[in-house]
Amino acid sequence: MNETQQTMSLNHLLKAQRGGRSRFEDLVVVPIFAVIVALILGALIMLATNVEPARIAQSYVALLEGSVGSLNAVSETLTAAAPLVLAGLGLALGFRAGLFNIGAEGQILMGGMAAVVVGFSFSSLSPMALLPLSLLAGALAGALYASIAGALRAATGAHEVITTIMLNLISYRLLDYMLRLPSVQKEGRADPISKSVPEAAELPRLLSAIDPNLRVHAGVFLVLLAVVVVYWILFRSKIGFEFRASGENAEAARFAGIRSGIVIVAAMATAGALAGLAGANQVLGVLGRATPGFSAGIGFDAIAVALLGRSHPVGVLLAGLLFGALEAGGRQMQVDAGVSIDLIGIIQALIIVFIAAPLLVRAIFPWGFRKTTGREG
Amino acid sequence: MFIHKSSAFRHAALACLFLGMSQAASAFTVCQVTDTGGIDDNSFNQTAWKGVLDAKEQFGIEGRFLESQAETDYEANLNSLIEGDCDLIVTVGFLLGDATQKAALDNPDQRFSIVDFAYDPVVPNILGQVYATDEAAFLAGYLAAGMSQTKILGVFGGINIPPVTIFMDGFVRGADYYNEQKGDSVSVLGWSIETREGLFTNNFDSLDDGRAFAQNLYDEGADIVLPVAGPVGLGSAALADELGIEKLKIIGVDADLYLTDPEKRHVYLTSIMKRMDATVLKTIEMARNDTFEGGVLVGALANGGVDLAPFHDMEALVPESLKSELAEIRAGIIEGRIKVAP
Amino acid sequence: MQVELRGITKRFGEIVANDSIDLTIREGEVLGLLGENGAGKSTLMNVLCGLYSPDAGEILINGEPTVFRGPADAIQAGIGMVHQHFMLVPVFSVTENVVLGVEPTGLLDHLDLEKGRREVREINEAYGLHVDPDGLIETLPVGVQQRVEIIKVLFRSADVLILDEPTAVLTPQEVEEFFQIIDYLRDAGKALVFITHKLNEILEISDRISVLRRGKIVGEGDPAELTRPKLAEMMVGRPVTFDVAKAPVDPGPVLLDVQDLTVLRDNDEIAVDQVSLNVRSGEIVGIAGVQGNGQSALIETLTGLRRAAHGTVRFDGHDITRVSVRKRHTMGIAHIPEDRQRAGLIGKFSVAENMVLNNYYSSRFSSGPQVNWSTVHKSTARAVQDFDVRTPSVFEPVAHLSGGNQQKLVVARELSREARLIIAGQPTRGLDVGSIEYIHERLIESREQGCGVLLISSELDEIMALADRILVMFKGHVVAEYDTAEGPVNKSSIGLAMAGAAL
Repeated sequence: MNETQQTMSLNHLLKAQRGGRSRFEDLVVVPIFAVIVALILGALIMLATNVEPARIAQSYVALLEGSVGSLNAVSETLTAAAPLVLAGLGLALGFRAGLFNIGAEGQILMGGMAAVVVGFSFSSLSPMALLPLSLLAGALAGALYASIAGALRAATGAHEVITTIMLNLISYRLLDYMLRLPSVQKEGRADPISKSVPEAAELPRLLSAIDPNLRVHAGVFLVLLAVVVVYWILFRSKIGFEFRASGENAEAARFAGIRSGIVIVAAMATAGALAGLAGANQVLGVLGRATPGFSAGIGFDAIAVALLGRSHPVGVLLAGLLFGALEAGGRQMQVDAGVSIDLIGIIQALIIVFIAAPLLVRAIFPWGFRKTTGREG
Repeated sequence: MFIHKSSAFRHAALACLFLGMSQAASAFTVCQVTDTGGIDDNSFNQTAWKGVLDAKEQFGIEGRFLESQAETDYEANLNSLIEGDCDLIVTVGFLLGDATQKAALDNPDQRFSIVDFAYDPVVPNILGQVYATDEAAFLAGYLAAGMSQTKILGVFGGINIPPVTIFMDGFVRGADYYNEQKGDSVSVLGWSIETREGLFTNNFDSLDDGRAFAQNLYDEGADIVLPVAGPVGLGSAALADELGIEKLKIIGVDADLYLTDPEKRHVYLTSIMKRMDATVLKTIEMARNDTFEGGVLVGALANGGVDLAPFHDMEALVPESLKSELAEIRAGIIEGRIKVAP
Repeated sequence: MQVELRGITKRFGEIVANDSIDLTIREGEVLGLLGENGAGKSTLMNVLCGLYSPDAGEILINGEPTVFRGPADAIQAGIGMVHQHFMLVPVFSVTENVVLGVEPTGLLDHLDLEKGRREVREINEAYGLHVDPDGLIETLPVGVQQRVEIIKVLFRSADVLILDEPTAVLTPQEVEEFFQIIDYLRDAGKALVFITHKLNEILEISDRISVLRRGKIVGEGDPAELTRPKLAEMMVGRPVTFDVAKAPVDPGPVLLDVQDLTVLRDNDEIAVDQVSLNVRSGEIVGIAGVQGNGQSALIETLTGLRRAAHGTVRFDGHDITRVSVRKRHTMGIAHIPEDRQRAGLIGKFSVAENMVLNNYYSSRFSSGPQVNWSTVHKSTARAVQDFDVRTPSVFEPVAHLSGGNQQKLVVARELSREARLIIAGQPTRGLDVGSIEYIHERLIESREQGCGVLLISSELDEIMALADRILVMFKGHVVAEYDTAEGPVNKSSIGLAMAGAAL
């Protein structure tokens, strides 16, 4: 081989091969079909429960309008998506490291609580200092709380699925308890509700100049930043390489000299920090205070978001936006068409099922996809 | 007249739906926003919605509801109603307190009412509905003291918060009043008014806890138990069912449990009812004839907002003398002669 | 009974695994089927066993065209397969394993084990198998377990036995015994197919040989007329050198010095028992032994993956007994793991990612917290060329690569770092002749550049070909040591030591 030939083949080796059509189908065509199938099935369910066809049509119009149909709709979609993406990024990172962290809910609660406490405790600080401080407190609390499960796994082998579920249960009660502490509970209130954070600690609403009811807040920048940072961690950094290696093949990682204990604790802490940020995002951006169970299952929805996003930061962002759109649109369905909120939940679940099961979608729409060869199929 | 109007509205509404438009309807419309419990929670949301349905029947108004799945939905749900055609927006539960207040301040022309919550200072366009539950609980305490064979009563709560302990306060004071009047010494286990400490399950859903707590109280001699913990009390009722009502009777809370727990209905001596439906109906009536103003509507014995349920199957067990004493006390409370709280 | 395959073709997508293959299996004859990994041997046998249905061609049994709808049909027709990986229940007795699935039952589904036991004894006698019908599988040596697999097939009245790489798990002595059994079976009129990629064995035992390459029969013949080089050329498609050319040994200073090393398994059994050994620079030390005699634990301890219970390990004069895996890597110890897919590579990772799996943190490939992927990609592309790893690009997931190319990638990674000691565990297991040849050359080359090489292999031929000194491990001890510089080493003496005879 002469020198030019050698350089040429070197360049050839360095040319990334595009995934081709099958990848495109998986990432774009399948989700579109999934949404269509889910909507059709949802319509059938509505028909079966005696909803008139006109109202079914109306409810789907409302779903679209409520999610992207107006400035307010987009604002609601983004507001709902933000915490899901943040927590989902954390879970995705954990999945990549081989950790099935069920504890995002608890980490959200702890993060949110810490953000609120810091927010109202240092209310004299300027927004430039207080907001970052509160967010940091949220991330730190989430990280610490998640590290407990990580440390238990690393030190004793206790499985993180069990420990994080238990930590969730503890966090609910811990929150109830803290909300009743005189130093936390809102003055003059008997029910468990925290003091409100001052404006300086709030994530400012972005469009209040247009309409004060537009709830989209600066948390969306936090989300975008988190997507970039998680992408960098996973695919560019040394620690991310260790996360992924441990997750894909723990034995090979061990042979390569990667210390599994450090990786587990670090991955759990990073995931917890993101979940904690999601909690801080909720209390500082939407609620302004903490109440019992203020997360309302975001930590569990985020598992679906992470899985749906194939544990890829960009995928998680898109999946989170889809979930946010379904939530905002679902609310509009209820308002405009009076469709039961449970039915909306069913349609959401159907969409997830079909996106998560590409083979099912391929089976339903055989003409939509290129034939795959026997071995791959 | 009402019927005509209502069916005309239905036609109009249907036409609107077919056209895919949402025009303002002409009928008086009440919109309810639930808390995360949902409309069919067997509790506050459902009872409040019953008030709306009663109003629908009586006044021919229109009503609809929005369910909230998470706390973040409250503000969004309220916002989406404000853009619509609601003459009165009813919210349910203290969790909606802040969101309702904010929406009311932003929209001073919209009338709001919130169930089981009130504002101090008053917000001019919100009517808070609160309940003098201790009035009915006081009667229940007196009744139980009069009925007890062992001279020991039992009470336990879900969580140590005022909406729960107000039942316990009234119950204990009622029993104390009985002792005072009769020179008797009936004691109540499970709650101390002075120390504000007592028996709490710390949840509102474990039937097992309801059973275990009632068993403990029964073992200590109590023959009538008041569980103030929602569905937890159903566990206590199951125990009473097994032991037999001569050994243990249960007093229900919130609704008339004789009606809502038909399987074990024979164990209920009575129930301390919080009539959210009555106060909601009252609020709607005030809004319709423009006597609505911000402030507090206290559901009490006087206006039927709280009450003691009928004895049903135990009617015959309760002595006539006790019944007339209860009627006397009831009148005393309404007239203000008897104070249920210091 | 005679089985004939005619024009068998089997495709997987665009890949033709078997391309119009003709093959005849006759009774009283051993057919040797030779081919590299991926040549299509397994596919062909799976067609014969009824697991795959061919896309074209037919199977004739005693001249009758037969269609197998599933494995049950093939068993019915008298075709049985002894798999490379045994399918036995460890906690069951021999008889129980043999009858599993075709249990002789009496009245009311009563399990008639006595009948089974009787039949096992009969089969034992007929073919000289010597297996205790009541022995517990987990207590039996590997060679005996294999005989149980053969009894299983015979119990189901098979006339055609397919033996898939049967000698891969056996010691040289066990291979000898195994060949005797094959003779018995042949004399009893059974038809046998012996699948292997080992040239010596196929020449020794076969009556006829067919060579498969890229899905086609590329040669057939009488073993008497064939030689090793000829067969290898047919199999690989080009001439292959067998005798690894290596310069006389010129060892330098001691690099690895192990003293009194004792290592425990996870269940606290002793795996390595007071072993002392050393490796000097510029020599290859081979550790021979049947698998499971402590070699894996020894490697794991030398590379820092397992704690030493007792004793010391010194590298280049430094005590490294308690030094971390990573530190050992950076000190210059390279490790080719025994099980490349489980421990050496990450299947879903790209070629480039695997190339830096254990040195991504070095200053060559990273700066600060970040990995410089463009540097990694360029460096990988060069290494891929240097080590002849066949891959479409450095971004290809290694799971898509063949076993030989995967192992070349591991070797490329370990040899491209500046290593002074190479610990190679089973470096050529399961590879084709071409890859084996290549990896051997690379190890010799490293030795000539002054590296010390510790080679652990259960392939005695490999050890004999490469090692300058040979240690034999048995039950955690080093039971024998041979120095090739002191004259030729007797293969059967090593074989006896591997079986524990030297004790």
